[in-house]
Amino acid sequence: MKKYDAVVIGAGNGGLVAAIRLLQGGAKTLLVEKHNLPGGFATSFRRGRFEFEASLHELNDFGAADNAGDVRVLFDELGVTDKIEWLQIPEAYRVISREEKIDATMPFGVKEFIDKMESYVPGSRESMEKFFELAEEIRAAQSYSNSSNGKTDTKVMKTKYANFVKCGSYSVNEVLDALKMPKRAKDILNAYWCYLGAHCDDLSFVHYASMVLRYITRGAAMPKSRSHEISLAMVERIRELGGDVWFNTEAVEIKTEKIVAESGEQEENQQKYRVTGVVLNNGEVIETRHVIANCSPHIVYGKMIDNVDERIVKEINARKLAGRGFTMFLGLNKSADELGITNHNYFLYDTMDTVRQYEVMKRIDTNCVQATVCLNRAYPECSPPGTCMMYFTTLYMSDDWAKVKPEDYFRVKDKVASMMIERFEKDTGCRIRDSIEEISVATPMTYARYCGHPEGCIYGYESQYWDGLMPRLLMMAEDHKTRGLRFAGGFSMRLSGYSSAYFSGDITGRQTVGDIKREG
Amino acid sequence: MNFKKKMFGWMDMLRFKKLVPNRRAEFDKAPATKIPDTYKVNSIAKILHPGNQKATLTGIATETSDTKTYTFSLERKMFFRAGQYVELTAEIDGAVVSRPYAISSSPYKALREKELSVTVKKAGFFSNWLFDNAKVGDEMIIGDPSGFFHYEAIKDEKTVVGIAGGSGITPFYSMAQAIKEGSEDFNLILIYGAKTEKDIAFKDRLDALASGKIKVVYVLSDEKNDKYEHGFITKEIIKKYAPEKYTVMACGPQAMYAFLDKELAAMGIGGKRVKKEANCVGVRDVKKAVYTLTVHIRDEVYTVKADNRETVLVAMERAGLRVPSKCRAGGCGFCHSKLVSGKFSIAGADKRRLADLKFGYIHPCCSYPDSDMELIVPAGLE
Repeated sequence: MKKYDAVVIGAGNGGLVAAIRLLQGGAKTLLVEKHNLPGGFATSFRRGRFEFEASLHELNDFGAADNAGDVRVLFDELGVTDKIEWLQIPEAYRVISREEKIDATMPFGVKEFIDKMESYVPGSRESMEKFFELAEEIRAAQSYSNSSNGKTDTKVMKTKYANFVKCGSYSVNEVLDALKMPKRAKDILNAYWCYLGAHCDDLSFVHYASMVLRYITRGAAMPKSRSHEISLAMVERIRELGGDVWFNTEAVEIKTEKIVAESGEQEENQQKYRVTGVVLNNGEVIETRHVIANCSPHIVYGKMIDNVDERIVKEINARKLAGRGFTMFLGLNKSADELGITNHNYFLYDTMDTVRQYEVMKRIDTNCVQATVCLNRAYPECSPPGTCMMYFTTLYMSDDWAKVKPEDYFRVKDKVASMMIERFEKDTGCRIRDSIEEISVATPMTYARYCGHPEGCIYGYESQYWDGLMPRLLMMAEDHKTRGLRFAGGFSMRLSGYSSAYFSGDITGRQTVGDIKREG
Repeated sequence: MNFKKKMFGWMDMLRFKKLVPNRRAEFDKAPATKIPDTYKVNSIAKILHPGNQKATLTGIATETSDTKTYTFSLERKMFFRAGQYVELTAEIDGAVVSRPYAISSSPYKALREKELSVTVKKAGFFSNWLFDNAKVGDEMIIGDPSGFFHYEAIKDEKTVVGIAGGSGITPFYSMAQAIKEGSEDFNLILIYGAKTEKDIAFKDRLDALASGKIKVVYVLSDEKNDKYEHGFITKEIIKKYAPEKYTVMACGPQAMYAFLDKELAAMGIGGKRVKKEANCVGVRDVKKAVYTLTVHIRDEVYTVKADNRETVLVAMERAGLRVPSKCRAGGCGFCHSKLVSGKFSIAGADKRRLADLKFGYIHPCCSYPDSDMELIVPAGLE
């Protein structure tokens, strides 16, 4: 029987980083991926003369070499930064919201952002300055927490990071109201909410503020050859470090056995079972005591493990699946200039009342919300001269797609694609429909098929009030319910998004290296 | 600054302390009902992308002297876009062999009756085997419906002028049935080129499908017959039958495309208005040389011989290795493999992703070996 110190299931963003961390920690590591490509959502695909980015809008917290964000620091440590050619995104975003008649284009840079906000919303400066000051303290507290591996000193937290602790249990709106931010400034500032997929009454302020701060202070980056370049660079690195990567290889079962407690041994987290191996789709059994699953606990505990404790079942049932994904990719036979597409990154909303907006996003026939990117505005040469590429993403906050009958599926897909185009044209005044040379549409069904996520959700478990970033980080040890099984990726402790998934792989990879050292 | 939400800071701090107990309490409240092993959206996805499945041959029909239709009963439901292909896999003399074939049946047949047909021209190793050996009751494997040779309502005109050459009629026959049954909605003017009258496949059925939405024009190249157009499919013939606005979809041999490209260029038609189905990569005409391929699949290493006139994929298949393939035309990327060392040439346009070029990945189905090569290849069908 083949034996590895650790097996990583899934070569998504979390799994790739976890595998590198394991190898750097000296563990003999096998990474298995059911597809023929690495990256999960971090990939690209060709249609005609276009190569589309599958999912990445902009990489948060990367920054430039002289203003490195935490992701760049992580990539440096992993040894992959220089394998990738990077571009900087020119501006933060343009948000258009119908109800409030907002059309605001926001720059990167804290000073620039605050000045621009003041020009749109006179009198917003003081609250905006407070927002960034608070966000900066949150960043510092997170960095302290990371450096102490989550084992923070309460005294230090209460004295040095008191504001962080005091705002740490509140939602975005609760804190912005406490900062007395004018409503219109709040509306413009909240534009990024769809990146985290929970409305601002639910979404943790700490989570949101930390993300906004990282965007605004460090800018955003993009690999030149799409996210496929990052994924291949990571595979390259894994092989350089002596790791094995097997594609078209699905892990179908994680074998576990009951832990027999030795006398006097205190079982951490009431763990009842421990990992003994992984069964692959060709029937092969790999012996290992450590698995990092870069997939949803729903799938792992729903069909990959026999021994599932009732507590685990309850915990999984308690959680809420976050947004179900939809993306339309367009290759246009005119340039962005010709079409009048002036911005890289558009957020189009019906309203900035995120609670009501969230409701509208529950239904196929009402949801036109979109985060739309024209990649040529960051990288003009990404498509042939005289053309440009766009991708339009939305989330569905319910299982409306589950009601679509198979025979209606292609029609519904076209209808939604058409709605998205119409909304973009009406809100921006750009005419794009007649210039579509290539179109590809991914629905929740596509995502369900590609990554196996339940109901085609792409954002992991929703950042609900009780299940946000802070409690998940505080309960990392307690959430480790099966010994030797840890999770990385969008369903895990850092929640979804590229940067978060990379960090989750970093955390779980390093934790597993520690487990191996302790337990063998 | 001193952030305060409640009246006193300590109240905000206390609230922070409750984050953990609150989350535990939510877990406590949740039901202990069994975690599902599938979900509704995933179940629908499984019909759209059923994956490899067992298919039992239920019928063989002769269409022309060199074309037969093979009808299969599927294990699971399937739904697809008319015009797509599937990969058919069979075990031939102990080796597992796969080829892509255009679907000739309708989408609703596969969805409602789990029945799927492919129409095959006798042209090579696999099709010869099918013609000579396949019999009703045989079990084979059919993969996902694939490819983008289908109508696209958002960008295509309401009318498609379909240009078919020889067995290139197959996807259009599926489209015509789909329009009739209502699973596709567009007008199809089909201009179908064949050598002689007896080389026309599906003639009676195509004629029966003719309606306000479907029109079929036959063009014979090697036979003069008053009932049909004669010659190649020229711009004059296209102009004679096409409306003012239309999208061109073409499926046929390379020679037909070469001729058609000139005709369309002369009419000023190109770009988004023209879609052509790719053909499988064949052999190349060079002086024979034999190279050695070192192939890594999972933790196994194989050494196989490669004839430089055939693709790297064919060399691996000839050696009996189970390796992935699907379109066999360089486009789908399913055979995506890491090149460790060696030289190669690509048949036709390079359809790889940018990062593949940078990190040395190739598509074996469209790459010919120009030296000894070492490759890391994903595992094939289990």
